[in-house]
Amino acid sequence: MNYEPSELNVADPEERTTPRIPGRAESPTPSPASPGGAERTSRVEALHATRRVRLERLNAYYGDNHAVRDLDLTFEPGHVTAIIGPSGCGKSTMVRCVNRMHEEIPGARSEGRVLLDDVDLHGARVDVVAVRRLVGMVFQKANPFPTMSIFDNVAAGLRFVGTSRDEVTDRVSAALEDAGLWSEVQGRLSNPGMSLSGGQQQRLCIARALAVEPEVLLMDEPCSALDPVATLKIEELIGQLKEKVTIAVVTHNMQQAGRVADTTAFMLDGELVEVGPTDKMFTNPDDDRTEQYVTGKFG
Amino acid sequence: MEAGQGPIHPLLVQSANLRRRRAVNRAMEISAWVAAILAVGVLALVVGSVAVKGISSISIDFLTSNTTNFGPGGGIGNAIVGTGILVGVATLMAVPVGILVAIYTSEFAGPRSGFAIRYALDILAGVPTIVIGVFIFGLLVYGHQQTGYAASIALAIVMLPLVARSCHEVLTLVPETVKEAGLALGASRWRTTLSVVVPTALSGMITGALLAVARAAGETAPLLLLSSIFPDLVQTDPSTALPNIPVTIFRYSEAPEPAKHAQAWGAALVLILFVLAISVVARALSARSRRRLGAAR
Amino acid sequence: MELEARHEYREELAQLERRALDGLQLVVASLDRTVEAVRHQDIELAELVIADDDVIDGRYLEIHQAILTLLATQAPVATDLRLIAALLHVMKNIERMGDQCVNIAKLIPIAGHQPPADERVVGNLVTMGNAIRAQIRQAKRAFAERDVEMARDLVRQDDVVDNLNRECFQLAIEIGDDHDRREWAMTMMLVARALERIGDNAVDIGEQVAFVVTGLFREFEDASHPGGVVEPQRSP
Repeated sequence: MNYEPSELNVADPEERTTPRIPGRAESPTPSPASPGGAERTSRVEALHATRRVRLERLNAYYGDNHAVRDLDLTFEPGHVTAIIGPSGCGKSTMVRCVNRMHEEIPGARSEGRVLLDDVDLHGARVDVVAVRRLVGMVFQKANPFPTMSIFDNVAAGLRFVGTSRDEVTDRVSAALEDAGLWSEVQGRLSNPGMSLSGGQQQRLCIARALAVEPEVLLMDEPCSALDPVATLKIEELIGQLKEKVTIAVVTHNMQQAGRVADTTAFMLDGELVEVGPTDKMFTNPDDDRTEQYVTGKFG
Repeated sequence: MEAGQGPIHPLLVQSANLRRRRAVNRAMEISAWVAAILAVGVLALVVGSVAVKGISSISIDFLTSNTTNFGPGGGIGNAIVGTGILVGVATLMAVPVGILVAIYTSEFAGPRSGFAIRYALDILAGVPTIVIGVFIFGLLVYGHQQTGYAASIALAIVMLPLVARSCHEVLTLVPETVKEAGLALGASRWRTTLSVVVPTALSGMITGALLAVARAAGETAPLLLLSSIFPDLVQTDPSTALPNIPVTIFRYSEAPEPAKHAQAWGAALVLILFVLAISVVARALSARSRRRLGAAR
Repeated sequence: MELEARHEYREELAQLERRALDGLQLVVASLDRTVEAVRHQDIELAELVIADDDVIDGRYLEIHQAILTLLATQAPVATDLRLIAALLHVMKNIERMGDQCVNIAKLIPIAGHQPPADERVVGNLVTMGNAIRAQIRQAKRAFAERDVEMARDLVRQDDVVDNLNRECFQLAIEIGDDHDRREWAMTMMLVARALERIGDNAVDIGEQVAFVVTGLFREFEDASHPGGVVEPQRSP
C-alpha cells in the first residue's frame, strides 16, 4: 500500500520518499502506449481493499448549524456503501468529514472520530494532506484541471509528492486502465483534459484520484450531472473498483443505490436513521421513515 | 388565412398603449445609439488627429536618432529606449508584488483583512499621479539627483493597484471545484494555489499586467519630477535620469519651433500605437482566459 | 394546491388493489351460483357459471398487465413492492377459485337431471359453500385492512371446511348399493373436494397478507407440517 496509517503523524509529507509498491517488477521505461503485461498484473495484485472506515459519534457544524448529529457508521472494505437521503440531510457533509474537506470551509468544524482501521484521521497530530492521499474523492461535477492535458491531470497528484518520471508514467496508465478510460484516450494523452465528454471527464477524475493509490474512495453524487449511458458506465466501474478500494457513494438516486451498493445508509436531518444490506433496505426496511423516503412519500 | 383578413382576437389589436410603448422604445434606442457613436467618435477623433498630425514625422530615422534641443533633425530613439527601461524596471517591481498580493487577498486572507487590503489598493489607485511623484521626489530625489530608479518606483506604485485588482478578480473567478479537486488530491493550500489556481488564471493575470504596463508607459506627471533632466543621448543606467517619451512630448510641444511640434505629434503617435498594441494583445488573451474559465464551470 | 409526492402513483396503486380485491366479489358470486346449481341440479345455471368465468379470467389479465406497467414505470420498493408481489399471487388464487367453480359446474350434468339422491350430502355441501363464502369475505377484509390476526383465523375456518369434507366422504361411503346413487355420491365428493380447494386458496390469500405486513413469507399451515408455522428453506 502507499502509506501506512501510522505514517500519518509526520510533519512534512513532502520529505517522504516514494514508497516501493510490493510485487512490482523492475522494467525499462514503458511508453504510455504499452502498459506492459507483467508489471500490470503485479499492480493489480498490489491494490486490494483492506481498510475499514469507522465514523464514531461524528458531529459536524457550519457555524451554529448542526449539520451532522452523533453519527456512527462503518464502511466495510471490499464493499460499496451508499448513503441516501433528501437534500440537506447532511450526507455530503458527513462524507467530506472523512477526508477532512469539511474543515476547509470557513466557519465549519467537526467533532468525533473517523477511524481508518485504528488510526483517527481527525487526531490532533495528524497531517491533513496525508489523510487526503489515503482517502480520495470524486465530486458531483467533473472537475479536471483546466490547463492540464489528460496525462497531466492524472499525474497531478503524483507530481505533488515528487514521484519519479518513470513511476508517474506507469501509474498514470494503470490508473487510466482502472478507470476504464485507457482504450478511449491512449492515443491522445496530451490533449486537454477538458476536451473529453462529460462522462469521460468524470472517469478522468476517477483515474486522477486512483493514481495516488488511496485506500478509500469517496464519491459525492458522481453521476448526477451525467446522461444515463455515462452513468451506467461509471456504475459498472464502481462494481469493478470495490475489490481495490473501499468505496462510499453519496447518491440521491435510489435506483442507483440499488444497482451499485452492497450496504445502504439512510440519513435524515443530520442523523443516521437506518443502515443495512441494500436488498433489505429496499424490500423491507425496519424504520418507518426509511419506508416513507424510499417509497417516495417525501423527499 | 392571410394576415389582416378575418376576425382578430381582441387582445392582439394594437392599442394606444402599445403605440406609445413603441415610440418610447425607439427614442431610447436612438439616444443609446447616438451616445455610442459619440464615445467611439471621440476615440476616433483623438487617434485620428494624432495620426494625421504625427504620421509625417515617423521614419526609421525618427525612431533611431536621439533627441535634439532644436532644429528639424533628430528623433526619439533614446526616449524609446529610456521608456522601455523605466517601464521594464517598474514592471519587475510591481507585477510580482501585485500578483502575490492578489493571491493573498483571494486565497488566504480572511474576509475582513482581504476587504481592507483591497479597499486600500482602490484608494491608492485613485491617488493623483503628481502626488505620487512629489512623494517620491521628497523621498529620493530632493537633495540628490534624479534617477531612473525613482521614476520606476513611482510608476510601480501607479501599476501596483491595477495589477493586484485585476489579478484578484481573475483568481476569484477560478471555480471553487477546481481548488477542491487540488486539495482533495492531497496538495497543501499553497501547492494548490501555485500548481492549479494560478495556471488556470494565468491568461487573465497577464492581461492585467499588460494593461498596467500600457498605463505606466504613458504616465507623465511622475516623470516630470523624477526623470526629466537628461542628456540627448541613449542612457541605460537607471541610477541616472533616463530619457523618456512623455517628457519628450512635453518638451517638444513647449519648444518655439514648429518642427519640434511636429516631432511631438510623432512621439505621441508612437505612444498611442504602443498602448493600442498592448490593449489588443491583452484583449485577445482575456478572451482565451474567459473561454477556459467558462469551460471549467 | 399541495403538491403531494407521487400522488398519481399512489392513486394508481390504490386503484389496482381495489380492482384486484373486487375479483373476490366475482368469485363469491360465482360460488353462490355454483352451490345453487348443485342444490337444484340446475344445468342452465351451471352453464352460466362456466360462461362467466371469462369475466374472472379477464380481471386476472387486466391486473396482471397493470402490475407489469407499474413495475416498469414506477419502480416500486419496500411495502409497495411487496403489495404488488402479493397482488400477483392473490390474482392467481382468484383465478384458481374461479376455475374450481367451473370444475364443479362441469360435474353437475354428469350427476343427472333427477333430483339429488341424498339430502344430507346436499346439505353438507351447502354448509361448506356458506363456510367458504365467509372465508373468502374474511380474506378480502383481512387483505384490505392488513389484519394479520384475521388472516390467521382463516386457518381455523379451513379446519371446519376440512371436517365438512371428511363428513361428505363418510356420507358417500355409506350411501348404499344403488349404482346411480353411488355414482351421484362420488360426483358430490368431487364437488366437495373442489370446494375445499377454494377454501385453501382463501388461506393462501391470508398468507399474502402476512407477507405484505411483515415482509416475511410463512405458510400458515403446510400439508407436510400440519398445525405449525413453517419457514421456507433457502437454497444454499
